[in-house]
Amino acid sequence: MKRFSVAHPLLVIGALVIALLPFQMSGYHTGLGAHVAIFFIAILGLNILTGYTGQISIGHGAFMAIGGYTTAVMSHYHHTNLILTLPLAFAIAFCFGVLVGIPALRFSGVYLALATFALAVSVPQFTLKFSSFLGGSNGLQTSTTKSNAWIYGVSWSCAAILYLVAWLVLRGRTGRAFRAIRDSEVAAAASGVTLPIYKTLAFGISAAFAGVAGSLFVIATNGFAQPNEFAVFLSLTLLIGAAVAGLGSLWGILVGAVFVALLPTVSADVPLIGSSHGQDVVFGLIVIVIMLLLPTGFAGLLYRLRSLPGIRTPVEKEAGG
Amino acid sequence: MGMKGRVLAVFAGVIVIAAVAVTAAFGAHKADPGVTSSSILIGGTFPLTGVASLYKTIPGAEAAYFAYVNDHGGVNGRKITFDIKDDAYDPSKTVPLTQQLVEQDKVFAVFGSLGTAPNLATWSYLNQKKVPQVLIATGDSYWGFSAKKYPWTIGWQPDYPGEGKIYGKYIAANQPNAKIGVLYQNDAYGKNYYAGLRVGLGAKKSQIVSAQSYDVTQTSLAQQILALKAAGADTFVIFATPSPTITALVTATKVGWAPTATYVNNVSANRVFMQLAASNGASLNGVVSTSYLVSPTYAPQANTVGVKLAKAIIGQYAPALLPSLNGGDANVVYGLGAAWTMVYALQHAGKTPTRAGLMKALKTLNVKDPFTYPGIKVQTSAKDNFPIEQEIMIKWTGNGAAGDWAPFGKLYSGVR
Repeated sequence: MKRFSVAHPLLVIGALVIALLPFQMSGYHTGLGAHVAIFFIAILGLNILTGYTGQISIGHGAFMAIGGYTTAVMSHYHHTNLILTLPLAFAIAFCFGVLVGIPALRFSGVYLALATFALAVSVPQFTLKFSSFLGGSNGLQTSTTKSNAWIYGVSWSCAAILYLVAWLVLRGRTGRAFRAIRDSEVAAAASGVTLPIYKTLAFGISAAFAGVAGSLFVIATNGFAQPNEFAVFLSLTLLIGAAVAGLGSLWGILVGAVFVALLPTVSADVPLIGSSHGQDVVFGLIVIVIMLLLPTGFAGLLYRLRSLPGIRTPVEKEAGG
Repeated sequence: MGMKGRVLAVFAGVIVIAAVAVTAAFGAHKADPGVTSSSILIGGTFPLTGVASLYKTIPGAEAAYFAYVNDHGGVNGRKITFDIKDDAYDPSKTVPLTQQLVEQDKVFAVFGSLGTAPNLATWSYLNQKKVPQVLIATGDSYWGFSAKKYPWTIGWQPDYPGEGKIYGKYIAANQPNAKIGVLYQNDAYGKNYYAGLRVGLGAKKSQIVSAQSYDVTQTSLAQQILALKAAGADTFVIFATPSPTITALVTATKVGWAPTATYVNNVSANRVFMQLAASNGASLNGVVSTSYLVSPTYAPQANTVGVKLAKAIIGQYAPALLPSLNGGDANVVYGLGAAWTMVYALQHAGKTPTRAGLMKALKTLNVKDPFTYPGIKVQTSAKDNFPIEQEIMIKWTGNGAAGDWAPFGKLYSGVR
C-alpha cells in the first residue's frame, strides 16, 4: 500500500474510470458502484485491524450499524446535513472502537473472534430495545434522500480520502508498530511498542472506517436505517472481503470490495437447487475456490505476479509482507 | 445553390420531417414500461431466505395464480410475467433490487412486496418515479393513510389498528363487563394495535384494568402476565408477533391464569403457531382472533368458490404448496387473494394498461374477491385507501393442538 512506481499510471486510469463510470450507467448500476465504495472503506478498516495488528474481528457490522444510526438519528431529529454526519459517524465509531478495543486486549485469536461476534449479534438489538428513539423494526428515515449519482460521488470521494488517511497512518511509526505487533507481540513490546495503546488505536481507527461505511450504507438504502440491514452476515461478508483482498494492496481491497458488493447481485439470477438458494450456493462455492487457490488473497496474487521475471519490482516488499 | 445543392437540401428536409413525424408517432402511442402487445411485466421483493422466509409461500401462491390466468386468456390477451426478487427481509437489499426492477427490468408495477420495513425503504423512491407500489404485503396503516403524499402506494390486507378496533368493538358488544388486560409489544406494531383497541372500545376503554408492554428482545413475559392476573383481568388481549404470542399463551397457563377470553392478533394466529403453543402446554380455551380469508380446512367452506379454486390452482400450478394449503397455512390463500385483486385491477387499467389506469382501478374498487371470507368486499374510494377492512371473528375449537380455527358471528368492520 505504500509505493506504486509501477502502479501510478494504473492508479490514474483507475481513478478516471471510476469518475466517468456513472455517466455511462443507469441509476441502478451507479448504486451498485456506490456499494463497492462502501465495502472498500469497510474492508480497508478491517484490513488495518486484522491485517496489520493481527486482531480478528467478526463484528465490524456492529460499527457499521453505529455509524449508520448516527447518520439516521442526526438527520431524522436534527435535519443535519448528510455530509456533516460522516465525520460525526467517524468520531463516534472511533470512540466505540476504542471502548471495544480495551477489553479486547485480554483476548486473542478465537476468543477475540467470539467476543466481536457477540458484538455483531447484540448491537442491532439495541435498536429494538430503544425502539421509540431508534425506530425499532420500522426503521428510522433520514430527512433527505439523495440520488444514486450523489451517493456514488460522495462514497468514492470518502474512499479516496480514507485511503489517504490509512496510507498516512500506516507509513509512519504507527504502521511499523502495527506490523511489529502482528509479527510478534513479545518482540514488539521488547522494542518499546506500548501494546495496549497501539492495539486499541487499531481497533478505534478500524471501527471509525466501518462507521463511515455504515453511514454511507444507510444513505444508499434510501436513507433508511433498520436492524435487519446490520445482521450478523454483514460482519461475515466484510471478513470474506478482507480475506479475498489479502493484505496491503490497494487493488486487492478493490477486488475484495467488488467481490462482496457485486457477486450476490450477479449470482442472484443463477437458478440452482431451487431459485432462491442458488445465489447462496454460488457465493459459497466461489469463496471456497478463492480461499483454496489464493490463500493470501488477491494481494498475494499481485505480489507473486510482480515477482515474475521481466516485471519491474517496486520497493514494496514491506507492504506485502 | 446549384442543382445538386437544391436536391440535397430537399432531401435533407424530407429526412428531418420524416424523423419528426416518426418520433411524434412513437411519442403519441408510447406505452408505459413493462407492457407489450402480448405481456405485462410486474415484480416484487419477498423474503425467500432469511428470518421471514416462512412467508415465501405468498409469492409462490401468487405466481401460481398468474400462471392460471395466463392459461385462461391472460389479462385481455396479455400474459403476466412475475419477477420475484429475494431481499431476505433486509431493506439494504430491497432498495437495489427495487431499483433493478424499475430501471433495468423496467416493470410496469411493483406488486405485493412484503414487509413494512422493506416497503418504507422504497416508497419515496417509487412514488418519485411514479411506479405503482401496489397490494403490498404488510398490515401497517401507513400506506392507507398516505394516499395524498404517496399516491402510487396502496396496501391490501386489513391494517393492524383497524383489527385492534374490531377487537374493541367485539368486546364492547359481547363482553360488556369485561375486565381487560392487554399485553402489547413496545414498538410501533404493538402500540398501533393497542391504540386501535382503545378506539374500538369507546367508553368501555375504562375497563382496561392493566396494560403491560414488553420489549421484543425480552424472552420471559412472566412479570407482565402476573401483573395482568393480579389486576383481576378476565379478558386477555395479546398484541404481539408470533414468538412472544406463543410465550404469552404458555406462560398464562403455567401461572394458573384462566381468562374467560383471550384475543390473539391475526398475524400470530396461524394454525402452526397455535399448535406450537398447545404442544408447549398452553390452554387454547376461549382463544379468539380474526380472519378475512376463506379457510380450506374449515369443512363448511369446502364448497365455496374460493376453496375449490384454491385447491384446483395450487394443485395444478404449485403442487409443492398443496400440503401447506391443506394444513391451514393462510399465507397460501393470502397470495391467491392478492393476486386475484391485481389481475382484476389490471383488467380495468385500460385497453392498453397504463400505470395511471392501474392506480385509478385500484382506488375505485368495489368487488368480491373469491379468496376472501364470504361477505367481505374489496372496496376503495377517494376517501378510503384501505382495500379490505372487514374481518370475521374466529374461535379455536377442538382439542388443543388437534384443533383448528372456526369462524363465528358476524363480520366486523374497522372502517375509518
